[in-house]
Amino acid sequence: MTLVESATTPHRRSAPMGRLLGAELRWVLRRPRTLVMLGLFALVPILIAVGVVVADRSGGGLIGAIAGNGLVLPVAAMTLMLALLLPLAVAMAAADAIAGEAAHGTLRGLLLAPVGRGRLVVMKAFGVLVVAVVATLVVAVVGVIAGLVVVGGADGTLVTLSGTTLGLGEAMGRVGIAALWTVGQLAAVGAVALAISAFTEHPLVVLASVLGGLIVFGVLGAIPALDWLQPYLLTTGFSAGADVLRDPTTWGELGSSTLRALCYMAIGGGITTSRMLTRDA
Amino acid sequence: MASRRGWARVGMGVAVAGAVGLGLLAVPAGAGAAPELPPVSAEDLVTSVVEAKDPGPLHATVTLDNALGLPAIPGVPQAANGTSTAQVWSDGAGKGRLSVPSGQGEKTIVDDGTTVWAWDSADKTVTKKAVGTEQKPPQADVTDPAAAAQKAVADLRATSTVAVDGTAEVAGRPAYELVLRPLPTERTLLREVRVAVDSEKRLPLRLTVLANGSSDPALQVGFTELEFGAQDPGMFTFTPPPGATVTEAPDRPGDAQKPQRPEPKVVGDGWDTVVIATMPPADAQQQGGRDGAPDLSSIGKEVSGPWGSGREIDTAVATAIITSDGRVAAGAVPAQVLTEALSQ
Amino acid sequence: MTASTDERTAARVAPPAAAVRGVRKVFGRTVAVDGIDLEVPTGSVLGMLGPNGSGKTTLIRMLLGLTRPTSGTAELLGHAVPDAAEQALPHVGALVEGPGFHPFLSGRENLRRVAATEPLLATSQIREAVGTALERVGLADAADRRFRGYSLGMKQRLGLAAALLVPRRLVVLDEPTNGLDPAGTRDVRRIVAELHAGGATVLVSSHLLAEVEATCTHVAVLQSGTLVASGELSALLEAGTGGLVVTTPDVDTALESLRGIGATAFREGDGIVVADGGPPAPEVVALLVRAGVAVHEARRRRARLEELFARLTEESP
Repeated sequence: MTLVESATTPHRRSAPMGRLLGAELRWVLRRPRTLVMLGLFALVPILIAVGVVVADRSGGGLIGAIAGNGLVLPVAAMTLMLALLLPLAVAMAAADAIAGEAAHGTLRGLLLAPVGRGRLVVMKAFGVLVVAVVATLVVAVVGVIAGLVVVGGADGTLVTLSGTTLGLGEAMGRVGIAALWTVGQLAAVGAVALAISAFTEHPLVVLASVLGGLIVFGVLGAIPALDWLQPYLLTTGFSAGADVLRDPTTWGELGSSTLRALCYMAIGGGITTSRMLTRDA
Repeated sequence: MASRRGWARVGMGVAVAGAVGLGLLAVPAGAGAAPELPPVSAEDLVTSVVEAKDPGPLHATVTLDNALGLPAIPGVPQAANGTSTAQVWSDGAGKGRLSVPSGQGEKTIVDDGTTVWAWDSADKTVTKKAVGTEQKPPQADVTDPAAAAQKAVADLRATSTVAVDGTAEVAGRPAYELVLRPLPTERTLLREVRVAVDSEKRLPLRLTVLANGSSDPALQVGFTELEFGAQDPGMFTFTPPPGATVTEAPDRPGDAQKPQRPEPKVVGDGWDTVVIATMPPADAQQQGGRDGAPDLSSIGKEVSGPWGSGREIDTAVATAIITSDGRVAAGAVPAQVLTEALSQ
Repeated sequence: MTASTDERTAARVAPPAAAVRGVRKVFGRTVAVDGIDLEVPTGSVLGMLGPNGSGKTTLIRMLLGLTRPTSGTAELLGHAVPDAAEQALPHVGALVEGPGFHPFLSGRENLRRVAATEPLLATSQIREAVGTALERVGLADAADRRFRGYSLGMKQRLGLAAALLVPRRLVVLDEPTNGLDPAGTRDVRRIVAELHAGGATVLVSSHLLAEVEATCTHVAVLQSGTLVASGELSALLEAGTGGLVVTTPDVDTALESLRGIGATAFREGDGIVVADGGPPAPEVVALLVRAGVAVHEARRRRARLEELFARLTEESP
C-alpha cells in the first residue's frame, strides 16, 4: 500500500517554505487591522511635521531639532514611536500570529496540514518581522517626505546633533541605519510577544502583557535605586536611535542595544519554539 | 529524526543562552589579566610622565564615573552621581575636538587652530572665539586625564607614600598603577588615589579616587577607548550649519571678576588642606557653574559652633561648610578639620 | 465480537489506518480518556458514538497528533503520533472541533491559504484543487463572500472542503453534520460514501445515530472516556443483545418454570426475556406451553443501533 502510494503521489512532508512564507505574507498584509494601523502610522510623522511648523519655536530634544532641519523628522518619528506605537503594531501581529490563530481554530488547521511545528514558528516569526519592517518603513519614508516637503529647511541637508552638515545621500544612509536598528529592537519585542502568544488563546493577553511590560520596564528604568537593572531592560537602549544623528555616529549604545535585542530574540524565539513543539492544539 | 521533545529542549537551551547573554552584557567588561611589565620605580614613573612627549594625534573616549555623593543641586544635574562620556580628538598639533553627548543633544567644541567653535544642539547656537594656538578648549583641563594626574602627583608627593602598585589594562593598553596614599598623620577622607600610566607612551590613562569606607571608587575618570594615529583632518574644522545662530563669545565674566576676589586662605597642607574663601553675596553664583545660579541655600545640613553657623555639605571625598557670614571652607577632610580651620 | 474483528483484520493483511493502544488523557484532575484500545481498519467507515464529554474529540485529537496522550500510544497510517505525525498527516484530511477560518477572508481565500500549506498539493494545482473542493461541498456560489457572513452550515461545508483538498487515505470528520440542513446532511452522506468507494478510510464522530447506521461499516461507542463497544456494525447489531423476548400474560409462571431448568430469565415489559446461553427458542416455547403459559409471541431481539447506543450510554446512574 505504502509503496503504491509513494509511487503515484509526490511524497512531501511539508509544503515548500517559500509558499508558506508567501501565504503568511498575504495573510498578514490583508488583515484589515494591520492596514488601518499602518495608515495611522503614516499620519504620525505628518502630524509631527505640521506641529513643528505651526508651533514655530524650538523646543528641546529631538522634536526641537526638527525645526528647520526636516531630515531629522524620520529619525525623531521612529525614536518617538519606538516607545509605544511601533511595539504595539508588532505585539498585535504576534498576538494574531499564534493566540489569534488558536482562537479562530485555524492553528489546528495549520498543524494538521501539516505545517511542521518548527516551520510554523519560522513562518509566524517571519510574519511578525514583516509587520515590524513595513511599519518602520512607513514611518521612515513618510518621515523623509514630510520632513523635506512640510518642514524643509537646511537646503536638503541634515544638520547633525554634532553641528556638522550631511548631504542628502548620507542623510538617507543615516535614516536607513536608524530604521534597521529600529527593526532590530522591534524584532526583540516581537519575539517576546510571540512567546507569550504561544501560551494563550487570547490575543488581548499578548497585547496587554507586552505593552504593560514595556511600561513597567520604563518605570523600572527611571528609578535610580534600580540602576543595576538597566542593562537587563530592553527599553534602556530605546533612545539610542538618535545616535545616528551624531557625526561621527557613536556606535556604543546602538551596538549594545542591538546585542541586548539579540538576547531577547533568543529568549523569545527559544521559548516560542519550545512551547510550540510541545503544546496541545 | 530527533524527537520533538528533544528539539523543544534545544529551544529552551537557546532561551537560556539568551538570558545568560543578557547577564553577560550587564557585567562590565572585566579587566583582563594584569599585564606583565618590567618593574619601574615610582620616581622614574612620575618623571617619565612629566617628561613624556605629546602623544600625537589620537581619538579617545573619556568616561567619568561620579560617585561623589554630591547632594542634588537644582539646576546642575551634571554633578549628580552617574556616568558620563565624552569623545576627544586631537591632531597632535594643537587642533582638537570635543563632543559631549547628552540624552538627545550634543555639545561640540572644535579648535581649528585659529578659532574655537562651540556648538550646542539644544538651541542650535554656535559660539566662536578667536584664540592663539597655545590655548586649549575651555574644558580641556577638566577632561584631560594627563593634566589631572600630573597635578595630583605634584601636589601630594610631600605628604604621601608614592608607589607603583602592580599593573592594569586601561582602554586596551598595558599600564602601571601609580598609587598615592596619605601618610597616617593626614586627617583626610581619602584612602588613596590611583593613576594608571600607559607603559609605552607614559600618558596617564585613568585617575581613580578612593575614599575611606568604600571599596568602589568615589570618582574615576579615564580613557575607555584610546586610539593613536592620524585623524581625519575634517574633524578639526567647523562650518556653522544652516539655520544656526552664530555669536561671538564675549569675554568670560569670570576672567574679569577674578582679580577682584580676595585670595582664598589655605589652612594646613597635604591631604588635609582646607581652603577658606570669602564669597561676596553678589559673586555667589560662581560656585555652582557657569550656566545656572544654583541655589545652595537649600542643600546640606545646619551646623554651628564657636566659629559661627552655616551649612555643611558632605560628599564621599570632601566636605564643605558655607557659613552664614559668607565664608566657604572646603577640603578632602572630615567636618571637624573644617571647623578647626574656620576657628583660626 | 473481538474475535471476529481480529480475524477480519488478519485476513485483510493491512495495518489499521489508525490505532490507539491503552491511551489515557488527563487534563488537570479530569480524566478525558481512560485507557482506550481501538483500531480503525483500513478501508472502513468507522462511526464514533458517544454523548457529549465522552472523550470522542479528545481521542480524535490524540489520533491526529494535536494532543499528546498522558500514557499509551497512538498510530496514524503506521506512524507513531504525535512524534512522527508529520509523516502521516499529508494523507489525512480532518475537520475537528468545528471549522476554523479567518472572518476577513472569503471562503476561497481561506481555502487557498489552507491549500498553500498542503504538502501534497503542487503550487500549480492549488487554484484548481480549491475550485474542485468548493464545488464538491456545494459552496461554489458563495466562495467569494467573506467567511464572516457565512451561515453555520456554510462554515461546516467550507471545513469539509478543506479536508477534501487533496486525495486522502484517511478522512476524520468530527460532527460533520453540525448545523447542516437536511440537504447538507445528505451531501455529507454522499461524500462519505464517495470516499469509501474510493478506498479511503473514514472516521466519523456523530451524535446522529441514523447517520452512522446509514453510512458506517464499523462502530465504536464511547462513554465517560472508555470504549464500551466496538466492532463491525452488522456484528454489533446481531450480538450481545440478550436473547429471546416472550410476550405472555403469565409472567410469574413462565419465570418459575424457566428457572426450574436453570435458564436465566427476567421480567421485561409485558413479558419476559430469556438470556442468551439458555435453551434454544423452540425448547423454551415447548416448555412454557407444557407449563400452561400462554405464549402470545416469541422473537429473537435484533437491536437497532439506536437502541444499543441508548442502552450502552444510559446504563450509568
